[in-house]
Amino acid sequence: MKDSNEMRVLPSTPVERLRLHIVFAVFFAGFLYIGGGLAYRQLVQSGDLKEQSNSQSQRVVLRPPARGRIYDRNGFALVDSRARWSVKADLAALQKEFRAEYLRLVAAEKAREVGKIDRERLMEVARLRVLQGWLNKVWFVIDETNRNDKLRRPTAKIVPVTAPGERHVSEEDLRKHLLERRALPFTLVSDLAFPGASQAQSPEEGSKSVARFIEQFPVEGPIRLESDNIRTYPFGALASHVLGYVKDTDQLPENVNDISDVRIETLQKLHYTGKTGAAGVELTYNHVLSGFTGWELWTKTSLGYNQTRLKHSEPAQGSHVFLSLDYRIQAATEAALAKIKDSQSKLLPAAAVMLDVHTGEILALASQPTFDPNRLADRVSKAYYMEVEKSGAWLNRATQGLYAPGSTFKVVTAIAGMRKKVVDWDDVLECGAFYRVGNRDFPEHEPVGYGDVNVDKMLAISCNVWNYQVGLRTGIDALSAEARRFGLDRPLLNTVSDVESGGQPMTELPFAASRGLVVPDREYKLRIKAGPWNDGDTANLSIGQGYLLTTPLHMASFAASLARGETRTTPSIIHDVRRDGRHQGAEPIGLSKAQLDAIHGGMVRCVEEGTARIARIPGLPYAGKTGTTEYFQKGEKAHLAWMIGFAPADNPVVAFAVLVEGQLDTSTWGGKTAGPVAKEMLEAWAATAGSKYLVTPKPKDEPGR
Amino acid sequence: MDQNRQGARASYIALAIFVALWVLMPSAVRRLNREAFAEFQAPALHLLGKSRDMATFWEKKSRSTEEMAAAGRDLARINAALEIKLNAMDDVRRENIRLREITRYVVPAEYMSVVARVATRDSSSWWQRIVIRKGRNDGIRPGAPVVFGNNVVGRVTAVHLTTSEVDLVTSPGFRCTAYLEGDDQNRIALVNGVASNSLGTAKARVSVIPHDYTPPAGQPARVFTTGMGGVFPSRLLLGYLDGGTYSTQVGNFKESLLIPSRDLYNLQEVSVLVPLHPNPGEALMQGDQFQ
Repeated sequence: MKDSNEMRVLPSTPVERLRLHIVFAVFFAGFLYIGGGLAYRQLVQSGDLKEQSNSQSQRVVLRPPARGRIYDRNGFALVDSRARWSVKADLAALQKEFRAEYLRLVAAEKAREVGKIDRERLMEVARLRVLQGWLNKVWFVIDETNRNDKLRRPTAKIVPVTAPGERHVSEEDLRKHLLERRALPFTLVSDLAFPGASQAQSPEEGSKSVARFIEQFPVEGPIRLESDNIRTYPFGALASHVLGYVKDTDQLPENVNDISDVRIETLQKLHYTGKTGAAGVELTYNHVLSGFTGWELWTKTSLGYNQTRLKHSEPAQGSHVFLSLDYRIQAATEAALAKIKDSQSKLLPAAAVMLDVHTGEILALASQPTFDPNRLADRVSKAYYMEVEKSGAWLNRATQGLYAPGSTFKVVTAIAGMRKKVVDWDDVLECGAFYRVGNRDFPEHEPVGYGDVNVDKMLAISCNVWNYQVGLRTGIDALSAEARRFGLDRPLLNTVSDVESGGQPMTELPFAASRGLVVPDREYKLRIKAGPWNDGDTANLSIGQGYLLTTPLHMASFAASLARGETRTTPSIIHDVRRDGRHQGAEPIGLSKAQLDAIHGGMVRCVEEGTARIARIPGLPYAGKTGTTEYFQKGEKAHLAWMIGFAPADNPVVAFAVLVEGQLDTSTWGGKTAGPVAKEMLEAWAATAGSKYLVTPKPKDEPGR
Repeated sequence: MDQNRQGARASYIALAIFVALWVLMPSAVRRLNREAFAEFQAPALHLLGKSRDMATFWEKKSRSTEEMAAAGRDLARINAALEIKLNAMDDVRRENIRLREITRYVVPAEYMSVVARVATRDSSSWWQRIVIRKGRNDGIRPGAPVVFGNNVVGRVTAVHLTTSEVDLVTSPGFRCTAYLEGDDQNRIALVNGVASNSLGTAKARVSVIPHDYTPPAGQPARVFTTGMGGVFPSRLLLGYLDGGTYSTQVGNFKESLLIPSRDLYNLQEVSVLVPLHPNPGEALMQGDQFQ
């Protein structure tokens, strides 16, 4: 029996044995295939598969760093970062609440028998309702107006706060968040200190809101308190055109700390919202200020929420930047500009610059109207953007505004004339009520003329006829060459790429100054197809009008060069104690001492008894030159008011330029309008410099130097 | 053997039924159960605290007459010194009232002080929670700050009829705002309890310290309450910064550990500052529903 069983199991014939071998071979091949496949995956593909697995189960969260501070030359922080406390909802922890609310909504829909139920929409509504409920609780705690009589009773029920706008969870924001940043908590209140984005409150009120939340809101639960940095400008709109502002960026940064630890290219990266410079120093020195981005490596759940933090690297704050501005002079300058208003008490557009004569460092640079960078640091409201746009405050008039320099250019005409030896410092020219050029009379602004006028007197009274004569004798070629020698045609370029490429910036300005500068000559007029150059054009140019266009910064640099007896000044916004006072392309002015003294003396007389006498400062003799330029705005005649100069007269330390745009009338004049601004700037400078530059006032009848 | 097995099975079934019942039970009933248990436990806690007081009493009673006389003499000296301070404080108080009248200053928060003996510490988190022998009957409400003298001890988190649970400064559930000694700008920092293991030293963390803050030299910087959050009165001492500050490199902030101002382990008595008017946070803690 046993044998017969064995006989049934074991193959007895060659055919059966063959079949058996074939079966074995098939099985062997199958196992070999499986084993080989496993070995291939384990031994050869393991690296790639692990990477693939990581990329599906892990993600990198980037953490933006705090930006460096921006200081003035004395170490006052003009731009800082403050703690921003935000309230966020942990969506993963709210899943149960979402589900419960969703089921309630579904039950309600079924009870209404509405037919087909849009379950996706109901889930959205459920999320919104739950989050709105939590937001109401947050507002209930942080809003001080909740301290009403009802709440003073211990048994009082909580009444939800209902207010429009920021107190409601935005459906669109939530949808976008779930789509792009599901793993991150949802922001309910982005800035506890300023919970209503459009409503400003004092720092103390802001701190109270933060403190109330911290101390009164339950610690446990799905609502988190997070803190990060936000850019803050402690002096508000002060120097906003220099400092600039920051904006959000979604671009992944290159400066990431220790990123070699994480093979970032294979991992899912969360959308990065950091800050980057958008204008001014914030933009130009973005690479210095931005610091190093930190990161966190997380495992994620099947629903896409963060689970466990595996590794991390902390972000590092950016470096600080020290500007050459002196905030006291800057503040005084802006306050002086803010006093200039038209007949309807509307601020007039204006600009003012003050710089160090020797180093070229800018002590104040103001442009009016201005904007508050604090209101651009986070979300920019459309209303505020439009307000700035409408007021024209985006334009930095000190560096980008193009204006005819008017009578301030007469200094260039005088230098050109003396260098070409068509006039000397003691030559006297007869100056009547007008000067005929071709068939046109070019007028003097004094109806009866000024009689005998030399350089000194010309600068004091701003005589036009003297300049027509000298300009025509000098000729357009020499006149425009002289303007170019002072760099009035050279844009003070300093592009972002100049700095980022590591090169020494040409001017260390945080912005590209206007490139539309014009120092006209024969070729220019032909180029713009305005016909050949004529004597009338030369007469116009000699008093700083016509095609000539420059910026207040150029005129301030010119005043600084004139004060040193040189031709070029390289302005700089960065404070550097090692600066040696050398300026690119500078050469001696090319006048004799007597000639230069005559020009300086004329400018001092201008302040002491001439067109700028309204801006005279007892005890501080300084040199100045006013200018009033006619221009047409919307077809109507208006004036530009200018004043340039340097102080003190005999040992120049600072130079300045002030420009005011008049508004559709001719009540704006160089001395009367721009003079007081120059005076207040210089007084502020003298206050910061102490009394060492002040001298005992001279008797008024004794002319200055 | 079979009987034993059947008995074990019955126990498991009973346990499962009990767990299922507990899970399915309405939350109101569960809360009632918890409250009932707390009230049931309260006499035991009272007894425990009182027996400790009794032990302390007999320990003191057993001391010699000379020792007691010396202690009495020291106490008299301290009383004399305090008398002088009290007089000085009276002047300051009068001046304070005068200035408040001139400036029409509104006193921000008013508190009723309830003195309570410590009954026990919660065994589940030894360092973080204490139970005091005063409760709802004595007017204590959740969220009220708990102090000892001028030092912050913690905050009431749960109130029963005759007892209350207090989260200590070192509890992870404790959070408040703070000013740091030496920061002239009075910027807000955050104080949180830190979860520690049962044998570790209880500490709290001070975070969001401004980057440019430097602690005063020569002594640990004191950390005070701000009085801005509507819970703690201002200028109460929370503790001291431990070993200065260290940078977290997260922007402009630093962090440091906080050493509580009192030895929380040896607390025998505390004061609960119950606000006369409840703040909104209190209503949230009590679980009031939004309408």
